[in-house]
Amino acid sequence: MDLRAGDSWGMLACLCTVLWHLPAVPALNRTGDPGPGPSIQKTYDLTRYLEHQLRSLAGTYLNYLGPPFNEPDFNPPRLGAETLPRATVDLEVWRSLNDRLRLTQNYEAYSHLLCYLRGLNRQAATAELRRSLAHFCTSLQGLLGSIAGVMAALGYPLPQPLPGTEPTWTPGPAHSDFLQKMDDFWLLKELQTWLWRSAKDFNRLKKKMQPPAAAVTLHLEAHGF
Amino acid sequence: MALFAVFQTTFLLALLSLRTYESEVLSEPLPLTPESLKVSVNSTCQCLHLQWTVHSLAYHQELKMVFQIQISRFKTSNVIWVENYSTTVKRNQVLHWSWESELPLECAAHFIRMRSMVDDARIPKPGFWSNWSSWEEADAQNMLGHDPLFVFPKDKLVEEGSNVTICYVSRIHQDNISCYLEGVQIYGEQLDRSVSAFELKNVSFIREKGTNVFCKVDQGGVLGGIVLFVSKVLEEPKDFSCETQDLKTLTCTWDPGSDTGLTKQPSQSYTLFESFSGKKTLCKHRNWCDWQVAQDSQETFNFTLLAENYLRKRSVSILFNLTQRVHPMTPYNLLPKNVGATKATMTWKVHSIGNNSTLLCQLELLAEGKVIQQSNVSIKVNGEYLLSELEPDTEYVARVRCAYTNHFWKWSELISQKFNTAEAAPSEAPDVWRNLKLVSGHPTPLSKVHANGKILFYNVIVENLDKPSRFEVLSIPAPASSTELTLDQCSYQIHVTAHNSVGPSPASVIVVSGDPGNEEVEKGRVNGTEDGFSVSWKPQSGDATGYVVEWCDGPQDLPCVLQWKNLGPNTTSTVIRSGAFRPGVRYNFRIYGISTRRMAHLLEKKAGYLEELAPSDNPQVVMSKLTSRSFTLSWKDYSTESQPGFIQGYHVYLKPKAGEQCHPAFEKTVLPEDSVCCKYTIDNPEQKTFVVENLQPESVYEFIVTPYTSVGEGPLDAFTKVTTLDEYSHTLIHIILPMIFCILIVMIICYLKSQWLKEKCYPDSPNPYKSSVLSLIKSKENPHLTIMYVNDCVPDAIEVINKPEGSKIQFLGTRKSPTETEFTKPAYLYLLPTEKNYSGPGPCICFENFTYNQAASDFASCGHFPVTPQAPRHQLGPLTSPENLLKALEQNYMNSLGEIPAGEANLNYVSQLASPTSGDKDSLPTNPPEPALCSEYKMQTAIPLGLASAPPSENSSLSSTTLLGQGEHCR
Repeated sequence: MDLRAGDSWGMLACLCTVLWHLPAVPALNRTGDPGPGPSIQKTYDLTRYLEHQLRSLAGTYLNYLGPPFNEPDFNPPRLGAETLPRATVDLEVWRSLNDRLRLTQNYEAYSHLLCYLRGLNRQAATAELRRSLAHFCTSLQGLLGSIAGVMAALGYPLPQPLPGTEPTWTPGPAHSDFLQKMDDFWLLKELQTWLWRSAKDFNRLKKKMQPPAAAVTLHLEAHGF
Repeated sequence: MALFAVFQTTFLLALLSLRTYESEVLSEPLPLTPESLKVSVNSTCQCLHLQWTVHSLAYHQELKMVFQIQISRFKTSNVIWVENYSTTVKRNQVLHWSWESELPLECAAHFIRMRSMVDDARIPKPGFWSNWSSWEEADAQNMLGHDPLFVFPKDKLVEEGSNVTICYVSRIHQDNISCYLEGVQIYGEQLDRSVSAFELKNVSFIREKGTNVFCKVDQGGVLGGIVLFVSKVLEEPKDFSCETQDLKTLTCTWDPGSDTGLTKQPSQSYTLFESFSGKKTLCKHRNWCDWQVAQDSQETFNFTLLAENYLRKRSVSILFNLTQRVHPMTPYNLLPKNVGATKATMTWKVHSIGNNSTLLCQLELLAEGKVIQQSNVSIKVNGEYLLSELEPDTEYVARVRCAYTNHFWKWSELISQKFNTAEAAPSEAPDVWRNLKLVSGHPTPLSKVHANGKILFYNVIVENLDKPSRFEVLSIPAPASSTELTLDQCSYQIHVTAHNSVGPSPASVIVVSGDPGNEEVEKGRVNGTEDGFSVSWKPQSGDATGYVVEWCDGPQDLPCVLQWKNLGPNTTSTVIRSGAFRPGVRYNFRIYGISTRRMAHLLEKKAGYLEELAPSDNPQVVMSKLTSRSFTLSWKDYSTESQPGFIQGYHVYLKPKAGEQCHPAFEKTVLPEDSVCCKYTIDNPEQKTFVVENLQPESVYEFIVTPYTSVGEGPLDAFTKVTTLDEYSHTLIHIILPMIFCILIVMIICYLKSQWLKEKCYPDSPNPYKSSVLSLIKSKENPHLTIMYVNDCVPDAIEVINKPEGSKIQFLGTRKSPTETEFTKPAYLYLLPTEKNYSGPGPCICFENFTYNQAASDFASCGHFPVTPQAPRHQLGPLTSPENLLKALEQNYMNSLGEIPAGEANLNYVSQLASPTSGDKDSLPTNPPEPALCSEYKMQTAIPLGLASAPPSENSSLSSTTLLGQGEHCR
C-alpha cells in the first residue's frame, strides 16, 4: 500500500456537504434536466479525493499499529477479515455487471466499511487519530450520499438492508489484539481498493451518461469548417 | 535423558512401594491422600489452577497439612516444579492452589500430581507423605483451533522491565519459521518438534497499542502473532497534599507521574480514602480530587491516596488538621479611593471562611516595580488601608493577598491594582544652568525638574541688574528644556520657574555677568574609572554658595550636549557618572564656583578619559632637509587634544640598512614582524620635529613616527622610505652646473655666429677668395699665390707635348721646392698670350670635375674634401692646417686613379687634378700631387673604347698623357 500524508480538510468538508445535499435538492435534479452527469462527475471527484485522504489517514493509523503493519511490503493473509466486503472481483464478472449492480455493490460496500471504520474510531487511543478517523467517516458518509444521489438520478432504488444483516463491529473475546490489528489493516486496504474500483466505475458511468446533445453540438460546429 | 527418566520412575515406584509398605506396617496410616484433583488452565494469567479435597478427615477434624505438588512439562517425567503447600484442612474442604507458568501454557502439556502429609502437632506420629495422586494433565493445546501457526501468550500485559517468554506452536512442522519483535527477528529455543520459545528480557514500553510479536513461515503465507502490552511502572503519587479555601471542601492534589494507560489497560485510577470517617471517593482527575467535609465538624483527617492499575497498587497517606490547611481565595474588588497627591485609600474584599474567621491581609505598594511599602491588615470581609507619603503624579501598583489568621498555611493569590496620585505644584526649583556661547553673552538656561506633575511650561524672567527697571518675561512650553537669550554686556539675573496644572515651582535664580569670564584657570587631568570621573577641586575661599561641574556628554567632534551637576558649598569632589561616557574619548570638565550673588566663576578645567586607548592613527609626517647624512621630520599639524588618550610623546622608528648599527641615541627594538628597528623616544608631546642624523650616504632608510599614550603606541604599519643623498653630489653639482651653463653660452654664441663660421670654414660654394685655406697656403708656401678664375681660361690653346722617346719624366721627391721642379718641367706651347697678371710658374689651383668619374662620384660627389669610406673621422675636421688639406687632396688623387683601372672602364676620364708631370706612369703611385706650380684644367673627353681598353703599358700611359694634354690649358 502506498500511504502518504497530505489533505485539505476544508475543501473536502465543503464538497461533502454539497454532495450530501444533492439528492435533497429537487431543483438540482429537475430544473433544466441536466441529467445524472454532474452528479456522477462530483461522485467521481469525491472518490478520487477520498483516495488521497485515505493515503494520509492510513499512514498515520498503520504507524499507530506499529511494525509489521506499517511496513510497505507487508501483505498478511486475510485472517479474520472475512466479513469485510471484498473489492477485488474477476474482470469478466465485473464487466458483466450492469450499472445498477455496480452502484448497488458500491453502496453496500461503503455502508459496511463505514460501519467498521466507526468501530475503528471508537477504539483509537489518541485524540488526533480519532479526529482524523471521524473526519474520514464524515467524508465517506458524503460519498454514500453521493452514490445514493446518482442511483436516484438514474432511477435505481437504494438497496434495503435485510433484517439481521446489519453490519456490526463486534470484536469478539476470542479475537486477539493481533488479529484485530490485522482486521484494521485489511479494512484500510479494502477501503483503498474500493475507492480505486469506484473511481473506475464512476468514470465509466460518466462516459456512458454523457448527453448526446453534446455530440450534436460538436457536429454542428464541425460544419462550420 | 531417557535413561534418567527410567531411573527416576523406577526410584519413585520403589519409594512408593516402600511408603505403602510402611503405612501398612506402621498401621494408622492416615489415608489423607489428596482426592478429586482437578486442574484448569487460565490463559489470561497463564496460570494452572488446582483444586482438590481430602475426604479422609474425620468429621469436624481440622488438621494442618502439607501438600507437595509436582508439575511436569511435556511428559510426566519432566518435572519442572515442586512446591510444598501448607494449609489447614477441614473435611471435604475444596482446596485451591495456583501456579503461574513462565512458558505459555498453550505451548506445552503440563502434568500435575500431589501428595500430602500431616504436619500437625496434635498428631503424635506425623512425618510421612501420603501416596501421590495420579497425574492430571493440563493441555491447553486442545483448545486451539485449526490454524497452522499459533503464537502465545495472547495479549499479555506486563510491566516495563519484565521478562516475557513467547512461544509458537506450529501445526505444519516446518523448520523455516521465523519470529519478529517489532519487525526485528528474534531467536529462541526449540522445545519440541513443533514448539519454540523466545525469552524477551527487560521489555520496554513502545506504544499504547502494544508491542507486536509475530511469526511466519518463510514464503508460506502463514502468519501468527500476538500483541504484548507493556505498561509503564505505576509510580507512587508525589507531593500529595490537601487544603481548603472555605473549610467546606478539601482539595487534594498530587503529582501522578507517568500515565500507565494502554489500549489493554486504562490509565491508573486514584481513590481517596479517609480513615476516620471510613469514606472513600474515586477521583475523576489524574492529579486532584475534591473531598466534601461533612457537617459534623471533623477537624482531623487521615487521607490515603491509592493509585492502581491492572498490575500494581501504590498508596500514600497524610494526616492533618483542617484549620491548618486553609488557603484563602484570592481577594477581590481591590480599588483605590480618595486618591490625592500624597495619599490614597485602598479597599478590597475577601471571601469569608467559616463563621467569624479573620484573615490577615498584606497590602504592598509598588513603584516602578519595587515594593516601597508593606502593611498587614486583619479583616473579616472588607479591607481598607490608607496609603500615605506618596509622591504626586506617580503611578503606583497596590496588591493584596490574605492568609488565614488562626493558622498560617499559605497566602492567597495576589490581586493587583494600578493607580496614579494627583498632581501637586512643583516642589523644587528647576535645575538651571547656562551655556555662554559668545563673549557678549548668550545664556541658555537648561533645566531638569523634579516636578509633582506634568510640567506645562517654564517661566523665565530676565532681570537687568544694571538697569533694575527692565524685565523680560518668557514662557517656554514644555517639554522644551532650554531657550536662548540674547543679552548685552550688562549683568542679568534670570529667574526660572516650572509650572504644572497646580502651580509654579520655587524659582531658580542664576546671574550672568557682563564679564565674559575668559580668565585663565588651572588645567588639570582627571582619572576615569568604571564608576565615572572623580573630579575634585580646590575649595574657593570666600563666599561660594555652591559649585557646578559642567561637561559635554559627547566626543569633542560632536555637538555638545551640555551636562552639569550642582554641588553644595562644602563639596570639593564629586564623581561624574554618565552612560554616554565612552572609552578613548576626552571629556573636559569645568568647575564653577557660585557666589552669593548666584554668579558663576570658572575655577578649574579638567580633562580626562574614562579609559585611555592607544592612538589609532599616526601623524602626517613631513620630511625635509634631506642630506647625505640626515633629514628632518616634522608633524606640526598633529593635534594631541583629539586623541584617544593623553599623548605622552612620540616614538621615531628608523629601519637601518642591513648590518648598520643603531645610533647611540636610538634604542634597538624588534618590531612585531620580527624586523629590527631603531627607536627614538620623544617624551615631550609638544615636540613635533625631529632630525634624523648620522646616516649613511646613498642609503635607503624607512621611518615612522607614532605617538604613544599610557596604554600604548600607534600602529606600526606604514613606514616611509627615504634615500639619503650622495656625499659628493653637492660638490659635483657646484661644478657641473657652471659647466653646463658655460657650454650653453658657447652653444648659443656658436649658433648666433654659425653663419659666420660656415662661411669661414665650410661655405656652400667654395670661394677661394673667401676661403682661409688660401690664406693659409699663401702664408706658408708662397705669398704670391693667387686665384685662378675659370672665366679667364680660354679653351682654345693646344698643348703640344714634345715627348722624347724613352725619356721619362721624373718627378721625384716630395715637397720639392718649386725651383727643383723647374728642372723637369715639360715643354708647353703657349698659344695665347698670358695675362698680364700672370706671374710665371706659381702655385696652381686645380679644379677637379668628377662628373664623369663614376667611381669617384660614388665616394664624394662635389666634395671639396673627398673622403674615402676608410677615411678616419678626424679627416673631416676643418682644414685648419695646410697639411690636412694636402692630405685630403692626396687622398682624393689616389682614389681617382687607383680605383679606376683602365682595362675595366669603357670610358676613362682622367682627373683634372693630374699633375702636369704625371704622364709618367711610374711616378703616379708614389707621388702624391703636390700643389702644382701651375693650375691645370682638363676638359673631360670621352675616350674611345679601343683606346681605353689598351693594355696598361707605356703606350697607354702615353696616350693618356696625350689626351690629357688636349684639354689642358694653363695660363
